[in-house]
Amino acid sequence: MEPLLSVKDLKIEFDTRYGRVTALDGASFDIHPGETLGVVGESGCGKSITALAIMGLIPSPPGILAGGSIKYQGEELTTAPEQRLRQLRGGEISMIFQEPMTSLNPVFKVGDQIAETIMLHQGSSKDEAMDKAVELLRVVGIPEPTRRASSYPHELSGGMRQRVMIAIAISCQPQILIADEPTTALDVTVQAQIFELMREIQEEFGVAIMMITHDMGAIAEMADRVAVMYAGKIIEEGKADDILDFPGHPYTKGLIGCIPALGKASASAQTLPPLAEIPGVVPPLHLLGKGCAFADRCNEAHDACKVSPQLKGSPHAVACHAYRGDVA
Amino acid sequence: MENKHMGTEVEAAAHPLAETARMFIKNKAAVLGLIVLFVIILIAIFGPIFYTTDPEDMVWMAYSPPGEEGFLFGTDYLGRDLLAQMMQGARVSILVGLSAAFMTVFIGITVGALAGFYQGIVEEILMRITEFFQVLPTLLFSMVIVALFGASLPMITIAIGAVSWTAVARITRAEFMRIRSLEYVAAARAIGAKNNRLMFRVILPNALPPIIVQAALMVGSAILFEAGLSFLNLSDPNIISWGRIIGDNRVNILDSSFAVTIPGIAIFITVLAISLVGDGLNDAFNPKLRGR
Repeated sequence: MEPLLSVKDLKIEFDTRYGRVTALDGASFDIHPGETLGVVGESGCGKSITALAIMGLIPSPPGILAGGSIKYQGEELTTAPEQRLRQLRGGEISMIFQEPMTSLNPVFKVGDQIAETIMLHQGSSKDEAMDKAVELLRVVGIPEPTRRASSYPHELSGGMRQRVMIAIAISCQPQILIADEPTTALDVTVQAQIFELMREIQEEFGVAIMMITHDMGAIAEMADRVAVMYAGKIIEEGKADDILDFPGHPYTKGLIGCIPALGKASASAQTLPPLAEIPGVVPPLHLLGKGCAFADRCNEAHDACKVSPQLKGSPHAVACHAYRGDVA
Repeated sequence: MENKHMGTEVEAAAHPLAETARMFIKNKAAVLGLIVLFVIILIAIFGPIFYTTDPEDMVWMAYSPPGEEGFLFGTDYLGRDLLAQMMQGARVSILVGLSAAFMTVFIGITVGALAGFYQGIVEEILMRITEFFQVLPTLLFSMVIVALFGASLPMITIAIGAVSWTAVARITRAEFMRIRSLEYVAAARAIGAKNNRLMFRVILPNALPPIIVQAALMVGSAILFEAGLSFLNLSDPNIISWGRIIGDNRVNILDSSFAVTIPGIAIFITVLAISLVGDGLNDAFNPKLRGR
């Protein structure tokens, strides 16, 4: 099947006071219609930069698109004029942000904010747009949508605000929904509700979702395919089930090991292994050397790791010298 | 904040401005200032309609003290009715104050918004221009403008506006720089908003509170400025303003101080009232002072 969005060798650099650093180094992935791609990794791995690059919203300066291509339905986005990108943003590709508390404009009613997007992209009248906004609020599960449409953001809870953000994001029936840690700022029960809502919306509208998260649990819940990122590179990619069951890269193993094993039926409190952790932090981008960026934190590191490994294998690709195939 | 709404799901949506209005009303001094200002504006609008004595007419002997011969404020150096002059002057002073403040805000917001939004070279150029205007001695510069282009009322307004827009520009720029990096601006960009829309529909409404406060105070300082220029005889001699009345009568300040004192008090009260209102607005817009 033709991919909806195809990112090839995307390279993004930033000018910092340490010189030019590579925030995203040759990332490639496809998103197919109706699927959910999970992008996972610690803070500072280049997940959000990837999302912003797709939207054409890399702050420049200091950001520089140093190479690669982003194709949406065959159309190159990296060289597309700003006007075309504006049509795509919100219309074809839309985005949900991490902080529902701050991503709505505090001085306008939420109904108006939804209606504004609709008017912007579909040129409908104010009344039509308002009717549609109320309908969207109903779709995203907000009680009393007519009355809530005239609420200000500060009157809504975090979960409700994220629902409003989702309503804005789907208001023009986009093909791709980029969710940048959509539930990080919400508490766990609300997280589950938001995931549920996103799944419903995916079924109803057939939208492809690119979900950025650092939570393997969220990946297990939502994703069809997964791309694991580390220090600006994709280090493992494949079907979600494969990666969760047979992680190839030590970093992926570490991330999976970080999930508390509460749900595992046989484990009693005594036999439960202590919660794993990955020692150290993601190295600052300006200190990245030639070798594997994860080597310093990796317990499987050996001499070969002084050379950066390539992403190998299909459909389950891993960038690690120690990886010998799906035999684990 | 969350808790407040949990029990009362069915509660009318309060506009953020309603909250501000509630805070403003709590500030007694600001409310007093607003009332005084309201009365002054009413007098300026309706006074000359009901009190029909022509302020330009010589009606009695010069420097007749207040209260004599039925002239409440007395007469000026030409024997003109001071009360009629004061009411006429109120119109001019307030008009100049408002239009100069409007001009200040217009220039200031435009420059500040462009500088704060685009940053880089645009900001460099605009802020250097702003700084250039900031270091000019304001009174001297406006005197030069008036001397060069004539002392008409519009020219005086322009002179005042030209020297006082820098404060608004800097405040606007600072607010834009703060707000442009907030997530709802990124979110608006992500739904395809153009730069103009981002600037004036998304960022500006959120940047307005400090600008409104500054604009209110600007009306007061514009009135003072106009009075200063008039006092120095740098205003249209055919137009009566409070400053002009003081300037015209100042030679006899020792013999007939009332002719200078009365307009002086009027200026004082008006500017004080405006300052109180501005101060009240400042407090009302400040979320930290809001009771929960």
